[in-house]
This record gives sequence, C-alpha cells and structure tokens, in this order.
Amino acid sequence: MARKPQFGPGTSIVAENRRRQMDPSRRLPIVRNVTEEDIVLLLGHRAPGSAYPSAHPPLAEQQEPDCPMRKLVSPTEGAKAGDRVRYIQFADSMFNAPCQPYQRTYVEMYRFRGIDPGTLSGRQIVECRERDLEKYSKELIETDLFDPARSGLRGATVHGHSLRLSEDGMMFDALQRCILDRDGIVKYVKDQVGVPLDRPVSVGKPMDEDWLKRKSTIFHSLVGTPLRNDPEYIEYLQRIHSLRTKYGFMPMEG
Amino acid sequence: MTDVLEFPQCRIVPMRLLGADTTRRLLDRLATIHGVRRILLNGQNLPSTVPYGPSRGLATVHPQRKKIRVLGTEVDLRVQVGSLVLEVEDRSVIDEVRSLCGDFFTDFSCSVQEGRFMKTRPSLSDYARYGPLPDPAMIGLSDPKQKEDPVFLTEPTGCRGDL
Repeated sequence: MARKPQFGPGTSIVAENRRRQMDPSRRLPIVRNVTEEDIVLLLGHRAPGSAYPSAHPPLAEQQEPDCPMRKLVSPTEGAKAGDRVRYIQFADSMFNAPCQPYQRTYVEMYRFRGIDPGTLSGRQIVECRERDLEKYSKELIETDLFDPARSGLRGATVHGHSLRLSEDGMMFDALQRCILDRDGIVKYVKDQVGVPLDRPVSVGKPMDEDWLKRKSTIFHSLVGTPLRNDPEYIEYLQRIHSLRTKYGFMPMEG
Repeated sequence: MTDVLEFPQCRIVPMRLLGADTTRRLLDRLATIHGVRRILLNGQNLPSTVPYGPSRGLATVHPQRKKIRVLGTEVDLRVQVGSLVLEVEDRSVIDEVRSLCGDFFTDFSCSVQEGRFMKTRPSLSDYARYGPLPDPAMIGLSDPKQKEDPVFLTEPTGCRGDL
C-alpha cells in the first residue's frame, strides 16, 4: 500500500499551516510581486544584469566521471552552468511570523532541489547555486511564507527574532535594512548584509494581525495559538521526548 | 564599602520597543514628576557601524539612533528603548508614574513593575573606575567601562532627574 506522508501532527491552525507549507503538492499562494532584478539587489551577490560568475566550467563542457549517482540525479540549472554557491538568510519574528527557521528548512527540503539549509534558533540560511537561489528566493519572498514586517532578509546581524516589535510593528533590526514608509509599504534600503542599495526595493505592505494569526507556524501563548490548545501535538512531542530520553538512558528499552 | 541610601525603584516595560520620538516625549513627562531621582534607559544597542559580516565598518544610518532633547538637554540615544528603570524618592511617586504610563501608552500596553532593577551599591568595577568614594548618583546608572558620564537634567520645577 502506498504511504501518504503526514508531514506533521496536530489539529491546530499552526499544525495545519506547517503541513500546508511542507506539502509540495500544494501550491503556495503568491501574495506580492517582487521583480527578479529586485531579488538580485536584495541578495547582493551580483549586480543586476551581470553574468553569473562561475565556480567551474559548465557540466556539458567537462568530463564527468562514470558515476551511477550522477546518472540517477539530474543537475539543477545552476549546477549545470557551474554557478557559484550563494546564500539567502531569513530571521523570523516569534510574534506570528508566517514561517520559522525549522519550518523553513522542512519546507525547502520538500520543495527545492540542490540546497544546503542551515537552521538556527533565530535565523535560517539556505545555500545553493546562484541562479537556483534567485529562483527559490523569489518564491520564498513572494509567497505567504514571508511577511514584510515579521520576516527579515538578514545575511548578517540578524538579532531581533525574539524581541518585542518596534512601535510600528516591524521586527527590530540594528541595521535597519528595511523601513515602513509613509505609504505603508515596506521598502528595503539595504541589501541582506547591510550595504545601502541604489534605490529602495519594495516588498509590499505588512499583513494584518488576523492574517498573521491565521498563517502563523509558531505556537505563541500570548499573541497566537498556544501549544496547550493542541493536545495531539503535545502527545507527539511527549512521545519523542520520552523515546529519546529512554534511548539515551537504556537503548534496549527505547 | 560606601553606605548608600536606598530608594524605591520601578521599571516601565512597554509591549513595543520605543522609537526615539516616543522616548523623548515619555522622558519629558517622566522627568517633570517630582520625586524622580534617576532614570536608566535600557534597550537594544544600535551600532554606529555594521559590527560584522561582509559590510563590516559601513555606517548604519538608523533613524532611531539620534540626539534627542529632554527638558532642553541633549541626550545621545544609542539604543532602541525597551524598558526604563526609575529611582524615586518614595513609593507614592511610583503610583504617579503608573498613572502617567496609563495615559501615555494608548496604542499598546505597558507594565510598571516595582523591585530592585538598578545597582545601588558600588561593585569592584565601580571601585576601579571611581575609587573608594564614588558619587552615589553614578552607581548603577551606566557601565563603569563606559567613557561617557550620565546626562544631568536641569531642574524645571524643583525636581532633579538624571538620565
């Protein structure tokens, strides 16, 4: 019998959002438009319109060793062209940001190919070939995985995910890479590492509290859905905790 | 060890990090409360240059990092204020502070806590910085390693507030 992946436990809206984001068969809704040129500016790895610098010759031009894995796995566009490996990094506020570092890694591993994610408590970095990165970044920013106020594109100096929000509802950023402009639109004035941009890059209006609460993938007892409201999730967590504790103590009982 | 008179303390914790303009307006009102002795601003550091990463050393032009004027005195604000610790003459002043905060914070909530939040006795670092007889007004206000002194506000209505 074919198995159907469950993606995760839980009956709450947070659990459902986590499953929805992870499931590659479900399309993530696009909620804003950011041009490819703007993505390149935000990433800051190359000038818009310039050629992709390469790390090695295109695969078609070099002799590949006779390897069964290479026959099984087709290379991504970036790998085929021999692009450099570059990164994008996000920090997500604990105040109902639509995605969270661990969740991001799960989502990316299910949806993207040829990536190397790095997950930390407050930030998540993903590395891949440059032209693949631009394609994935566009998806990560344009869809409902991103909120201009609660998610931040931060290559360095990421501090802010666990802090109270600023007065205007933006996540704290010591480098102030993006600003909430007078027209209510969030504009990036610096790239992800804090280098000032030639022109501001608009990433849309911050979503309202209701939307964030409905789309959030983090449990939060004060401003969102408390974990205690999802007994199935608690049962799952307790089971994992119990098993790994027993296994560490007496593997034969685990 | 120097004997220091201990005064009641309270801490104002708003639900949001305050911008420079809000901080200025709040300080303007707090500093005029009779009986507020000292105010300590706590918050997230706003560096003047990018501290690390590929753009290390570049100037960070942060709109919240600026000079504000409180009761006519210039204060160099280098943090995004998250909480304010107040040392007051007696407990009745804390009620006044609580009432002021209730009126002031209308867009988001704020809590005023009573307790000990500011150092009241000199530590070893204070000894190294100020010597055996430190000015009690300096203790607990700032990091002893900081080169700058606290800001002293002039008295508008017979009260004295130090920032």
